[in-house]
Amino acid sequence: MNTINKVYKRINMKRIFLFISFLLLYMCFTCHLIAQTVKGTVKDASGPLASVSVIEKGVKNNGTATDKNGNFTITLKGNSKTLAVTRVGYAEQDVKVDNPSKALSVILQPNEQGLDQVVVVGYGTKKRVTNTGAVSTISGETIRRIPTSAVQNTLQGRVPGVFSVQRSGQPGKDASDFFIRGISSLNPDGNKPLIIVDDIEYTYEQLSQINVNEIESISILKDASTTAVYGIKGANGVLIVKTRRGSSGAPQVNVRVETGANSPTKVPKFLDAYQSASLANEALINDGLQPQFTQSQLDHYKSHDDPYVYPDVNWYDVVFKKASLQANTNIDISGGTDNVKYFISAGAFTQNGNLKNFSDPRNQGVDNDYFYHRYNFRSNLDIQATSSTKLRLDVSGRFGQINQPLFYPYTTANSIMSEIYNYQIITPYAAPVLNPNGTYAYAFGSNLSNVPTINARLATMGYTKNSRADFNVLFDVTQRFDFITKGLSADARVAYAGTNDITRTQSRTNNPPAFHYDSTGNYTLDKNGLYQLAPFALTGSNDLFDRRINLQGFINYDRIFGNSHFSGLALFNQETYVSKNGGALDVPQKLRGFTMKLDYDYQQKYLFDFNAAYNGSDRFGAGHRYGFFPAGSVGWNLAKEDFFKNTFPVFELFKLRASYGLVGSDAVIDNRYLYQQVYARGGYYYFGTNSNTTQGIYEGSLGNPDVTWEKARKTDVGLDINMLKDKIAISFDYFNEFRYDQLFYPGSIPNIIGIGLARQNLASVRNHGVEGSIKFQSRVGNVGYDITGVFSYAKNRIVYENEPTQVYPWLARTGHSINQPFGYTWIGFYTSQSDIDKSAKPNIDPGTIKPGDLKYKDLNGDGIIDERDEGPIGKPNIPNLSAGVTLGLHYKGLDLSILFQGAFDYSFQVTGIGIQPFQSQWQPIHELRWTEANAENAKFPRLSSDASSESSPTAYPSDFWLVNAMYVRMKTVELGYQFPKKWLPLKINNARFYFSGYNLLTWTNFKLYQQDPEVASNTVGDAYLNQRVLNIGLQIGL
Amino acid sequence: MVLSSCRKYEAVPVETVTQDYIFDTKDSNGIYASQYLFSIYSSLPDIAGNRIGRDLLAAGSDDAVTSQSTAAPVTLLATNGITIFNNPDDAWSRSYNGIRMATNFLNNFSVVPLKNANEKRSWFGEARAMRAFFYWELVRRYGGVPLLGDSLKTLKDNIQIPRSSFGTCVNYIVSECNQAIDSLRDDPVIDANYGRFSKDGARALKARVLLFAASPLYNGGNTGDSLNGYTSYDANRWKLAADAAKEIISQDVYHLEPNFIDIFIIQRSNEVIFAKTNTLGRPIETNNGPINFATAPGAGNTSPTQELVNAFGMSNGLEINDPGSGYDSTNPYANRDPRLSYTVLYNGAQWLSTAIQTFNGGINRPGGSTVQTQTGYYLRKFMGDFKDQTSYQDHYHDAIYFRYAEVLLNYAEAMNEYSGPSEEIFTAVESIRKRAGLNPYTLDHSISKDSLRTIIHNERRKEFAFEEQRYWDIRRWKIAGKVYNSGPLHGISITPTINGLLYNVVPVLQSSFDESKMYFYPIPNTEVVTNAKMRQNPGW
Repeated sequence: MNTINKVYKRINMKRIFLFISFLLLYMCFTCHLIAQTVKGTVKDASGPLASVSVIEKGVKNNGTATDKNGNFTITLKGNSKTLAVTRVGYAEQDVKVDNPSKALSVILQPNEQGLDQVVVVGYGTKKRVTNTGAVSTISGETIRRIPTSAVQNTLQGRVPGVFSVQRSGQPGKDASDFFIRGISSLNPDGNKPLIIVDDIEYTYEQLSQINVNEIESISILKDASTTAVYGIKGANGVLIVKTRRGSSGAPQVNVRVETGANSPTKVPKFLDAYQSASLANEALINDGLQPQFTQSQLDHYKSHDDPYVYPDVNWYDVVFKKASLQANTNIDISGGTDNVKYFISAGAFTQNGNLKNFSDPRNQGVDNDYFYHRYNFRSNLDIQATSSTKLRLDVSGRFGQINQPLFYPYTTANSIMSEIYNYQIITPYAAPVLNPNGTYAYAFGSNLSNVPTINARLATMGYTKNSRADFNVLFDVTQRFDFITKGLSADARVAYAGTNDITRTQSRTNNPPAFHYDSTGNYTLDKNGLYQLAPFALTGSNDLFDRRINLQGFINYDRIFGNSHFSGLALFNQETYVSKNGGALDVPQKLRGFTMKLDYDYQQKYLFDFNAAYNGSDRFGAGHRYGFFPAGSVGWNLAKEDFFKNTFPVFELFKLRASYGLVGSDAVIDNRYLYQQVYARGGYYYFGTNSNTTQGIYEGSLGNPDVTWEKARKTDVGLDINMLKDKIAISFDYFNEFRYDQLFYPGSIPNIIGIGLARQNLASVRNHGVEGSIKFQSRVGNVGYDITGVFSYAKNRIVYENEPTQVYPWLARTGHSINQPFGYTWIGFYTSQSDIDKSAKPNIDPGTIKPGDLKYKDLNGDGIIDERDEGPIGKPNIPNLSAGVTLGLHYKGLDLSILFQGAFDYSFQVTGIGIQPFQSQWQPIHELRWTEANAENAKFPRLSSDASSESSPTAYPSDFWLVNAMYVRMKTVELGYQFPKKWLPLKINNARFYFSGYNLLTWTNFKLYQQDPEVASNTVGDAYLNQRVLNIGLQIGL
Repeated sequence: MVLSSCRKYEAVPVETVTQDYIFDTKDSNGIYASQYLFSIYSSLPDIAGNRIGRDLLAAGSDDAVTSQSTAAPVTLLATNGITIFNNPDDAWSRSYNGIRMATNFLNNFSVVPLKNANEKRSWFGEARAMRAFFYWELVRRYGGVPLLGDSLKTLKDNIQIPRSSFGTCVNYIVSECNQAIDSLRDDPVIDANYGRFSKDGARALKARVLLFAASPLYNGGNTGDSLNGYTSYDANRWKLAADAAKEIISQDVYHLEPNFIDIFIIQRSNEVIFAKTNTLGRPIETNNGPINFATAPGAGNTSPTQELVNAFGMSNGLEINDPGSGYDSTNPYANRDPRLSYTVLYNGAQWLSTAIQTFNGGINRPGGSTVQTQTGYYLRKFMGDFKDQTSYQDHYHDAIYFRYAEVLLNYAEAMNEYSGPSEEIFTAVESIRKRAGLNPYTLDHSISKDSLRTIIHNERRKEFAFEEQRYWDIRRWKIAGKVYNSGPLHGISITPTINGLLYNVVPVLQSSFDESKMYFYPIPNTEVVTNAKMRQNPGW
């Protein structure tokens, strides 16, 4: 008791101390005379464990927790003489007290996959043993080890059922796109999973702002039985984040400091000036045009004898550093008493861009590198106000800043990579980095932009900076009504989430002065240029303002009657969401509904769950707003059956489960009010001899009064196995989803109707697949190891989209996957003029088709290659199969974890400035072009300067350009060392030093394209390069 | 239900306008109804603009080619390149959208209590005339099309509607024009109403439609299929066309503008019967003006052909190949029909206070990959008088649909076909030649019907160059095969030498025309696959 009092004194919580003291005194006076005091220590493999709950079995309200040194003292009052020692993440251990005078030493074994493992589901939790739905969970502990800023990026390869692709590596904008069980909707906004943080809906962007340090666990809900509670919003699966909370015990302070280096996963190689100029000449000669360079120019480029007049610059190397820094610092404090528990955390994250510093003294200190800064805080409080009333107050906020350079006037996307790739803006031979006299140069040449070099613009043109603040508050009251009936409680909750996002842009109205230095030594000013820097102009905009207010009221019931366990929940939920629409606030979006859950299990053997929601959204017309979404699931745990147990004693769990149900999606795109026909202003006309402007009004798309939500019928069959004393845990699911009533444009209505049509509920898609995970954990002597394998496969097929009967069957979209690419089928290179003459070809000037161009299959056999021959080619850009293998190893204080992640069965292509001659820089792939000498091994068609030539991937999309893609990458690695306690100075309890890495190694089957395999097709060349992170960190617990 | 039972909130944006606002039973000024009518006007095609990619429609005929070095959409029209999926001059959806708007107006406008009854009649007439205009846009491209009459289709209606025959469509357009003429304003309308359909506007539309209907492509020349024309020839169709033109002439409201160039510079010149009015601006100049004028930047998108230039005779009225014409191939632009210099800019022409240089390497034709003239000529027509200026200024660019010169030439052509040369015809043609500045402008009145036809055809080409006439004329005359297939289109290559400029006619584009199908556009693929009753045009 002394020890506990000391602890309380130390944190100076006087009032609580008094209260507790009284309570304890009272308890002492009521002690049985045979009371015995037991002392002990609890540890795990790495050292003492704090906040371990130690409870005397068979006695009510007799329990304590270990202090920071793992010590506890408890006075036994009952007769069981047994202590239950529990801590989340460890297997429960019952300790028999044989000799109370001897100090106990308890060593807990970690257990991440026991039968009692908590599974967070919608509005509640389940245990692995009684769960009947398809849910995957990942602990906050695991994802904290991945050095990336966005939560979305941590799920890849670790959670079955999650498909994610990271499209960009730009600081602050690198969150992955992710889908649960692939995609099922033709409505482009209709595949986004619902994101729920502590039972409140978040947006994608808000999710990516969350500091992973605040996260207790993430659950992915996949089937109807788990998502039906979200009714009209549940069809795309649900990602649930639960944040960390305090538990009673001494305050624990945790500090993590880490820093890392970012560098691109793949640095593109470009050909040098001589190689580029030679290839350019070859292309022009191929086209029957004059070569651009004379032999003497080529010689100069080759010899580098005059780097100012005949420059040879690798602009990538000029602009980018090898690596940049990121840093992440987090501190959290948690603890509490029986009455007040708290978790408080703060974090700061910084990620810098990869640009070199070009700052020009005249630039008045504006920072024009990319960067991302983020500050987070969270305070989660639980207060036991009375014995039956609990209050909860969660406050969290996130403040972020994203900075990007501006390089007026070229790329609106302000993508540095697209400038470097773009052959029409810059080439290796277009300009020196700086002129001999130190002035800026500009891209000089007949086909070129004539704009100052990119370093000149980066140095001077300014930046755009985006400041974002997110703020969330959640207040909750729980009242137990045991006096009415045992196990009854009610809960009321109000939550607020808001975002405010404002941009500041400093840009100059004109390019910096730049000069061309010629062979005579003269400097010529850029013809559009000025002799001085134009002044900065400040602009800005309020990009986003939004506010979500959510009211929830729960009634919970949970009771065990003998062998039967009942639990139930009824919930009322109302939400108002307001966001900015242009300059003004939009009409609030409203959602309201009721949700209920009924769970029953008999001896944890026979399991029945019924979940339903009745909810509605104001996106639909009156009378079409509310839907009922029921789902049921059953489970049968054979391991509890005697006949099974006797035959297969190795299984602790062998649970078959199945679910079926209906869920909805209220995502409508473009127009929230599809049920209404609106007349729009526009179509001006100018009457009279003075051309007086008159305003026009025109009829908008026809309304669709019957518009309603999308629906999904989902079937799931699964198997959960734990065997060999939880050493092996397996989950496996097959799912089949039929998504119907999708909002899609009716394709069978002729245009003679004379007006645009609203989307209608008509398309349907079948999506099915399998997913599973298997984990094996064991130990050999002092070495513990684990292997986890995760895979997800999902494939969809459009069943119906109101498509008219096409003239040729291969033109039909129906029957293929969503986003199936269409194009020509490549059947080889034209080998000779006679080959061209006798082959089918496009109806263009025959003189422009030459040997070495791509030959396509004439699907309809009419001798002409045209749109009628564009059939399905390749696969969609989102992988159908994703898999990951995690290997873990720990030995004493050392631990190692490696994740290999792969994605398979998708297509990838590069067009435009990513690859096409005279649009893209010359790259190694161009050296493998078709020539007469290299006809056999050609990997690229003959070079041509014509962007719309017969071999062009944009004018004639074909499967020549589509790679049947796959990749495997060493996604994350972590190596840590836990210092032994005895080494630690001061009051440090534990300390761990670690190294972690992200995107370390990649194997793909399309190296020639020089792109990261997760980048989206067709945008290639624009995307900020995906980053590899090498990180070191130190974690200290006080 | 529950959502509606709670406190009323703004369920939809109240700033949106619904049908009740448009056809308001209480608004005696018909404010919203008039705005709806205006937006039908704004759906009329913008024929004065570079509306096909970066080009004028004329760049798809033998009058010009695009200046783009890579494939331009308009080139597909001149090289057999259009497909059922891709037609840069497709007008299907756009026209049916206009038809729907007009029908909606005609069906619902009667409830608006407009104070001025004549105004109300006229608004009806305007919508009706525009609907006829949209149908005409369709018929000349596709032949007979589905006629929807006064029904406004919804998704619940049967929209599987077959095409009507060419003849039925023509009759429908003509009868709609007649109804519209009845209720439209008299000509001339007051200045404030310039830009609206008037009686003579509807008459001019009718006259043009009837002229097409009488022309060789449709008048029994397109054998077999009634969707694409009449199955047999009827000379009386020429008479109907001539009478329709004559009706306007006899109103005696419109006259030829004395000065050719003023038609396109002065807003509402005497000659304009109906035009789509536009704001002040200089889009024609910036899109098509010669390149490399620092103070007057032009994109030089249009390259008129040598064929067009050769069509212009001498100022003495003789053709350039006439032995006595005085044409000098080493000084080819001297003493030409004055309209030539108002239509194209050639090497040496005065422009922006300087002489145009389109010789090879000249400032306006420097070579390299910049977009520039492909033929040695730039567009001049529609532009303001910038000969002695140093930069472009804004002026009105109305898209003229009908002008009096067309009515005269329509009349002359139809009458000549119907009854052969007559004094009335010569008067009409000579008035055009006189206004053009030819001296002498008179013709030999003893020539044959065929010779007169050639003169009229050529007069149309010169007079209406770039006004979206030639492109359709070569089709309705059924000479497109000959025009496009008789060798490449040409430009001029001018090389400066010590002995002066050396002119060489050079090919610039191999045009082609598949006579078995190209006289009619293909019905867009979406329409054929969505409408079981839709018949595709022959050959597609």
